[in-house]
Amino acid sequence: MRTLSAHRLTKVYRQGSSEVVAVQDVSVAAEAGQVVGIMGPSGSGKTTLLSMLGGILRPTSGAIAICGEDIVGLDERRLPLVRRRYIGFVFQTFNLFAALTAAENVEVALALKGFPPRAARAEALRLLDSVGLAHRARALPRDLSGGEKQRVAIARALAGRPPLILADEPTASLDWTNGRQVMELLHQAARVAGCTVVVVTHDPRVTPYLDVLVDLEDGRMVG
Amino acid sequence: MVDIARKNLLHDRVRFLITVVGVTFSVVLIFSQFGIYLGFMQNASIIIDNTDVDIWITSKNSANFDFPQGFTEARLNKVKEVPGVAWADLMILGWAGMRLKNGGAENIELVGFNPDTGVGGPWELVEGSVQALKAGPAVIVDESAFRKLGPLRVGDLLEIVETRVKVVGISRGVRGLTTAPYIFTSYRTAQQIIPWLREQTVFIVARVAPGHDPHEVVSRLRRIPHVDVYTKEQYSLKTRMYWTVETGLGMGFGLTVLMGVVVGMMIVGQTIYTSTIEHLREYGTLKAMGATNRDIYAIVLRQAAIHAALGYVFGVAVTLLVSRTIDATGLVMVVPAWLLGTVLVVTVAMCLGASVISVRRAVNVDPLVVFRA
Repeated sequence: MRTLSAHRLTKVYRQGSSEVVAVQDVSVAAEAGQVVGIMGPSGSGKTTLLSMLGGILRPTSGAIAICGEDIVGLDERRLPLVRRRYIGFVFQTFNLFAALTAAENVEVALALKGFPPRAARAEALRLLDSVGLAHRARALPRDLSGGEKQRVAIARALAGRPPLILADEPTASLDWTNGRQVMELLHQAARVAGCTVVVVTHDPRVTPYLDVLVDLEDGRMVG
Repeated sequence: MVDIARKNLLHDRVRFLITVVGVTFSVVLIFSQFGIYLGFMQNASIIIDNTDVDIWITSKNSANFDFPQGFTEARLNKVKEVPGVAWADLMILGWAGMRLKNGGAENIELVGFNPDTGVGGPWELVEGSVQALKAGPAVIVDESAFRKLGPLRVGDLLEIVETRVKVVGISRGVRGLTTAPYIFTSYRTAQQIIPWLREQTVFIVARVAPGHDPHEVVSRLRRIPHVDVYTKEQYSLKTRMYWTVETGLGMGFGLTVLMGVVVGMMIVGQTIYTSTIEHLREYGTLKAMGATNRDIYAIVLRQAAIHAALGYVFGVAVTLLVSRTIDATGLVMVVPAWLLGTVLVVTVAMCLGASVISVRRAVNVDPLVVFRA
């Protein structure tokens, strides 16, 4: 069974009386263990596509199935539960909770997935260890470097072993030393943990880590 | 889940502290205004509430306990004839001027009662006796009057409306609402001192015979012309309502309590709103991670509840300190258990109400915010 299957996705925004087509007829499919890259210049519709794949934005038309479950037809109460169960997110600007330590940031994701507090704490420390940050478990985000923040974000995304990880420009805020480390972790998540990883990026240095490449331009697939 | 609400609050300790101080201020304001009002009302009806009778009879349309009018003593016999009345007696309250030792003068409220029964007299004597009132022109003065009349002892002589009276007792706990202190004397002495009350009474107080319903007895007594008849509770309430409504006292205290609530709401509302706006991206992230609206509600409302709980606890502590200070100034502040409960509910409602707008902002946050750099 495919982890991700998106078929002929189209997203049209209305601006007053006119319509803007952000994504048109894009299809993506990925198996467990694959890393999919969505590349393209700014404004090409990458983030819009990722938002639709993550169940955050509803497509105007098309179908999306995650682990065989159709998410386009789900109501607003069911969608959060699908995201909670199937998807881990990594964001360009990390989006860590400023008041929480690195471990607590991971614990939040685990708690949402139903881990009891003690088990969440142990699993959070294990996940931080897997991204090389066990020693920074009690640090607040303000005390972490950009690379460390993104590694915490990856640990958080891996919480509860979701089948799908969606990463929005995960290396854009980092130098390439840290960027490479982040891509290796995501690659490892695919190869070792069996996740399907979808990476939105405009950074060509990411290409060697990709199994599938979706090239977007003006909202359409060009390759 | 990790306590995001508490962590977010403690992350900005200065703002958190300011907000808790604001809620505390609001709680103290509500407590003190309610407490002083209740103290005033307790004083307003203190003699009614501490007189062991079931029924009060006054002249027609008398405003309240402190502003009575006289009526003929002959009504006493009619009252005693009414079925269900076990016992009735006369009682007087009249305003008079007292000459002070220092040459000045002070208004007093003279309470005349029957020393043989003690009904209508002081309920706690520090010194002297009620029976001593029968020996001649004599009075019992309350300790609380010393502030106005100067310190007095049993055996001291006073002059009330050109009548020399002897202090034969000192009472405790009889503090009225008006600025004039209550002075107790015998019914007959009161009539002698206050000329317009000769052959007139101000109250007839009565007890209901066992097995009779006070309200039914009151209904029968109301057939007597030119008097108003109340149960003890009704007369107490009438007196309290007079001071509350007719003098604007209730409006004044009510407005201040309302101000306390509004100030508290504004402080908490502003803090939680600012905090919510600052954490909108985090709420968006939580939603992206699969948090439901209920999870978001829980975080924002918990922040409000934390403010309410801490503000209330500190507010009660400060109120207890304030009440001691207020007692020392001669005012009475009453904080009964039901007021503690009511203010707790008001505080929680105030803080939760103040966070409604913030909850809406947090719940309606566009999850796409998480993708913006």
